[in-house]
Amino acid sequence: MKAVAISVLVLVAVLGQVTVASLFPISGGEADLLLVTLLLLSVFAGPRAVLIALPIAAIMLGFVSDRAPGLLLLAYLPLPPFALYLDESPLPLNHYARTALTCFGVGIWLRLVLALGAVAQGADMAAAALVRDVMLPGAFLDFALLTVAYIACRFIGWTGRGMTLQRSGW
Amino acid sequence: MLMFSRYSWWVGSMVGLALLLAIMGQTGLLNPFQGLFLTVTSPVESVLTGIFRPVASVLSDAGRLNDLQDENGRLRLENEELKNQNAELQQDAETVKELRDALGITQGGGSDTKLAASIVHRDSSVFTDVVSIDKGTNSGVQTGMVVLSSRGTLIGTVTKSLADISFVRLITDSKSKVQAQVQGGSADGIVQGSPGRGLSFNLAQGDIKVGDTLITGGLGGNYPPGLPIGTVGDVSGNSQDPFKKVKVEPLVRISTARTVLVLTSFLPQRLDLQSP
Repeated sequence: MKAVAISVLVLVAVLGQVTVASLFPISGGEADLLLVTLLLLSVFAGPRAVLIALPIAAIMLGFVSDRAPGLLLLAYLPLPPFALYLDESPLPLNHYARTALTCFGVGIWLRLVLALGAVAQGADMAAAALVRDVMLPGAFLDFALLTVAYIACRFIGWTGRGMTLQRSGW
Repeated sequence: MLMFSRYSWWVGSMVGLALLLAIMGQTGLLNPFQGLFLTVTSPVESVLTGIFRPVASVLSDAGRLNDLQDENGRLRLENEELKNQNAELQQDAETVKELRDALGITQGGGSDTKLAASIVHRDSSVFTDVVSIDKGTNSGVQTGMVVLSSRGTLIGTVTKSLADISFVRLITDSKSKVQAQVQGGSADGIVQGSPGRGLSFNLAQGDIKVGDTLITGGLGGNYPPGLPIGTVGDVSGNSQDPFKKVKVEPLVRISTARTVLVLTSFLPQRLDLQSP
């Protein structure tokens, strides 16, 4: 049952990414619904769920947006290890701050990877425009969306989990 | 290296999977799966887009109220001017018709064939501005065909065509480059998409000023000549500057467009283009 719910959630996030997120941009940046969904999955449902959901989501997003699924997979790849790194780091951060920092770091990484993919296909490497028009507005939208969703998850009683892999189970 | 200590097996397998997907994507092995997936999900995408597009349109208009008022005033004046021009052109057309009849000249009709299609979704993430439309190879759509707005303005090119769905790279995509010229002028250059979903004009030669209309030049064979693209919104740099920055305002608001026209009668001379 949990697997079905997660599958549906990821599918909705992928479809929302290409239909809804692109309608509400700031400058050239838009929220990454899939990143926020995968991040919330990892911190509330546990890391094992996102290890399975992430490659499936990347492939689905690649199909829907006609982008290279392999590139998308590499773009979202740092999410679990980076979240674990922050989880186990001695930084004095609470659960929400670690989640937000993961969102920011992975968000910057994935936009950089996608930009490099576009440059490899012929786009000009406009570094200043990338930071000003894409990365910063996108990171802001991710942060706003994550905050709202995080508060909603906590409000309905879900508690944050660590990123350490358990021996078995979800 | 703490972060790789427990996830290393997973990261390694994902990198391997990414490479495998890249190879499968290059060889076209993923196309049947993609087509099947899109067939299943496109109705859901249409519903989601139908629900949220009006909301986005209202929010967009509300945020640009002053701009819209200015634009409205400018368009009123332009409308009046165009009506006057239209009246003169109608008189000229009647005169031309009379002269043709008198001289016995026959005129060939326009042979452009256009196929109407609905936009299913728009992916406008980093450096990318792509829409999918609900017509594919079953309707005669082929890779490389030119896509216009419902009023005939150039908006993009078909980059991939599956059975019942096609992907269109918009001219605002950073990878898009269109050879263009000023309508009625001598300036020409390349219209290119920018990261902020805008358009810029890399001027090759000639003079340009704000308000000029840019049309496709037709060189290179990727686009037919004479298709309107946009108007010059801003020119920065002095008269001695060899590399003026020219910002172009698209003639059509792609974000709220629902219907496009595929120019099926025009095929580019090079169908294997990766970045038309």
